[in-house]
Amino acid sequence: MDEQFIFSKQYRNILPILAAVSLVVFLLAVVLSGSGSARIWSNILLNNQFFLGISLGAAFFIAVHRVATSGWQTVIQRVPDAMTSFLPVAFILMLLIYFGMNDIYAWADSEVYEGLTGAKKIWLNIPFYFVRMVLYFAGWIFFIRMMKKNSESLTISSDLKYHNRRKIFAGLFLVFFGITVSASSWDWIMSLKPDWYSTIFGWYVLISMFVASLCFIILITWLLRRMGYLKVLRSDHVHDLAILLFAFSIFWAYQWFAQYLLIWYGHLPEETSYFIPRQHEFTLLFFLNLGINFIVPFFGLIRTSSKYNLNRVAAIAAMTLIGHWIDYWLLIMPETAGTKATIGLPEISMTLIYACGFIYIFFRTLSHGPLIVKNDPFLQESLNYES
Amino acid sequence: MSIFQSSLRKPLIEGKKSYQEITSQILDPLVNKPIKLWYFAITLSGGAMLFGLLMMGWTIWQGIGTWGENRTVGWAFEISTFVWWIGIGHAGTFISAILLLFRQRWRNSINRSAEAMTLFAVICAALFPFIHLGRPLLTFFIFPYPNTRLLWVNFNSPLVWDVFAIATYFTISLVFWYVGLIPDIATLRDKLRKGLKKTVYNFLSFSWKGSARDWHRHEVTSIMLAAIATPLVLSVHSIVSMDFADSILPGWHTTIFPPYFVAGAIYSGFAMVLTLLIIARKLMNLEDFITVEHVESMNKILIATGSIVALAYITETFMSWYSGIEYEQYMLQNRMTGPYAWAYWIMIICNVGSAQLLWIKKLRRSLLFTFFISIVINIGMWFERFVIIVTSLHRDFLPSSWTMYKPTIVEYGLLIGTLGIFFTAFLLFIRVFPVISISEEKSILKTENALQVAKEIHHG
Amino acid sequence: MDNKDYISVYFDDEDPMLQALRRLKENNLTIIDVLTPFPVHGIDKLLSVKRTRIPVGGFIFGALGGILAFWFMTWVFTVSYPLIIGGKPFFALPSFVPITFEMTVLFAGLSMAAGMFLRSKLKPDIRFKPADERITDNMFVIVIGSNANTTRESIRTVLSGISIIEIR
Repeated sequence: MDEQFIFSKQYRNILPILAAVSLVVFLLAVVLSGSGSARIWSNILLNNQFFLGISLGAAFFIAVHRVATSGWQTVIQRVPDAMTSFLPVAFILMLLIYFGMNDIYAWADSEVYEGLTGAKKIWLNIPFYFVRMVLYFAGWIFFIRMMKKNSESLTISSDLKYHNRRKIFAGLFLVFFGITVSASSWDWIMSLKPDWYSTIFGWYVLISMFVASLCFIILITWLLRRMGYLKVLRSDHVHDLAILLFAFSIFWAYQWFAQYLLIWYGHLPEETSYFIPRQHEFTLLFFLNLGINFIVPFFGLIRTSSKYNLNRVAAIAAMTLIGHWIDYWLLIMPETAGTKATIGLPEISMTLIYACGFIYIFFRTLSHGPLIVKNDPFLQESLNYES
Repeated sequence: MSIFQSSLRKPLIEGKKSYQEITSQILDPLVNKPIKLWYFAITLSGGAMLFGLLMMGWTIWQGIGTWGENRTVGWAFEISTFVWWIGIGHAGTFISAILLLFRQRWRNSINRSAEAMTLFAVICAALFPFIHLGRPLLTFFIFPYPNTRLLWVNFNSPLVWDVFAIATYFTISLVFWYVGLIPDIATLRDKLRKGLKKTVYNFLSFSWKGSARDWHRHEVTSIMLAAIATPLVLSVHSIVSMDFADSILPGWHTTIFPPYFVAGAIYSGFAMVLTLLIIARKLMNLEDFITVEHVESMNKILIATGSIVALAYITETFMSWYSGIEYEQYMLQNRMTGPYAWAYWIMIICNVGSAQLLWIKKLRRSLLFTFFISIVINIGMWFERFVIIVTSLHRDFLPSSWTMYKPTIVEYGLLIGTLGIFFTAFLLFIRVFPVISISEEKSILKTENALQVAKEIHHG
Repeated sequence: MDNKDYISVYFDDEDPMLQALRRLKENNLTIIDVLTPFPVHGIDKLLSVKRTRIPVGGFIFGALGGILAFWFMTWVFTVSYPLIIGGKPFFALPSFVPITFEMTVLFAGLSMAAGMFLRSKLKPDIRFKPADERITDNMFVIVIGSNANTTRESIRTVLSGISIIEIR
């Protein structure tokens, strides 16, 4: 019960080394392939978005379960909690985009900017872009910190006021998050193609980040279990995580299809300009995206017995996590790199750098407190949980 | 056997009952004569139903020239009401399917009436395409059969998708509802003494005997039906939304429509469930089973879905501004300030304003306020459909054919009439079948009683 | 009465019933059936009820329904009567998806319900007589196969200490 995660020396050494090696590989690959700074910046944007999404998705996971007064997740609660600690880093990394604006955002170019219509001139300009960015991050970090602080208080005190407080902050966070996650996806991803818009876009990105986040939670749960932690984890908890992955993968596919069908059916040139390059230039990835993110979890987890098997669920989560990286790739790269976009050594090594950094921060935060929040009012319920 | 529950949870069945008490308290109001209020309610709704049937007959006899539709506004009142009813139906499936999958215990005492509500709402909805055809005898045209020229229906048309979606939705909801009802009909059968009533219930109970193997199959089938009903409920309103979104009309053609319509549907459906349950609770003495905790939980769903709907409004407004396309911009400007601005602002006040009031705990736990707000929300949701349909149609691309639409008394009659059909059906239903799932209440009873004990100890 | 080949033991609560079930199993008595007013948690394991294959049937029939619908629409629009509608190709894959989905769900749902009715032999029958009218109210009944050695008396001895309403 008083389990404490120890960030072993082995991991503490391997992660930075792996990151450093990846960085060398990345720089070499960029230089040798002769790609310009655009490729560097689009890789940074892609991974910023992907890992920020995982981190935010975890906060969404916590807040939704909190507001729904759900109890089963209490034993793995600290995993998503620790995942949110990447947010401040993501903030700094997003601010870095300032130096690459011209390489990735077409509207940052003054000539393109002059050609925009009135509303877009107001919305898409560098100062306002960063003002909004600061606003989003300030809100997210504040609400998440408040939720986390009150959760942490429950490790020492059993006063219910902490529980009630974190619940209130979860509700407020959800309202703020609902608006800002849409708005930020318009800003950071949709505006890569300034002449295009789709109203479902924000919700689509939200679900994609949430599924990626679920995959990460499952993978970490599996890893902690392999390391010998989380002895109280029951197959019933695995089942519920699996059912979330299953259900939200279907929901993701639904959102994907809703957007595709309506644009395909309407056949308006200003809308189809988004799907045409993706479907015709990147056909393989375009269908791979659907295949991994929908077909794999759907058929992999459709049987009830498979949802109780942690190894199996983790394997599917690993594939789906890669699938959602591809989803983000398809959102971003065809706009920033055009038809030349590929998944090569630079993309893989840059993702590895981010992954190492993310996991390092995650493990460090996780080791700072006990794995199980002792005074959580739902702990006993979660320990005895039967699905 | 009680399942461990956190002490923060409140009991959902009041009064530490025994199994026998559950049976008798749910069935007694059914076996006994109805109270006066019930007769009053059914007279009122029956009257509305008759008026509606009269107007329906008039429409079919005279033709749809009796309506206010014209050459530009070809869809208006009836399609709004159709979509509204379909949306209301969604909450039933949501409660029985999604909340079952997420193991929300509070669904147990509301699922039966919510599912019944789904069936009646879908029946009301399905009436509209039928009368909207103008010549109802030719309804079979919409089914896929080769006509004399061997031409099939157009499978590319969302209106044909609708036929399939609604037919499937109705069938699956009916099966799901009936499968759940069988054990309770058996209880009713065994409660009754001899007579015709007993024979009828015996027939309807499908010779249910309560064997462990039967229960196992019953449970697995229910949960599996719930699992397939969940995507089904999403698909149905998405397809309804595509009746509009597959066109290229500004205000209709927007990619957010499918999930936004689903959220709106659940929103209005929950409001309707609340309206009905607050009535049923009074009429059938179910205060111990439908508690303030249930109402509060449902109100929280109203906040969530209401906020999603609000977010969709924000998104639409932003996008029409951001898009830079003048048609899109004009559409929204026309909605907000044009001749139908009153409808738009009613929609905003009723849908966005009202649900947000439920953040206040006191209001959320007040039955009277909830009853009021649930009606307000449904008014708002009706206006939402009206705004989407009429404002986009009455001023489209060609200003020379801009026009106005004004509903006639016949059209109001159809709306009132379907309300009458809906409430009459529901009032009869609560007299004929157990309105609360008896077996499900029994299966959570021990847990609830343990919580009740814990609560009493806590309060000393 | 004694020529019956089964004995019913009545309980008014599920806890003693489960306790009795465990003890009867330890004594290797044949349990024919257990009748309860609601699905009792944990009873499946004690009776070693195998998980029903109704969902498998639902999956197969659902797939069948989907394939049938998809094939039919494709046949109609590419072979039977190809028509250009809205500038879309004859084989307009995305717009076949909604109906394919609906038919999958319809077939899966109906087949699972049918499977339940058939496997549990549930059918409308006005002559049906329940074993006891209290079972759907508050009685939990274990039906035990009886023979020369298993009599009501022997069962009463086996279940001593557990609160039983009656044995018949």
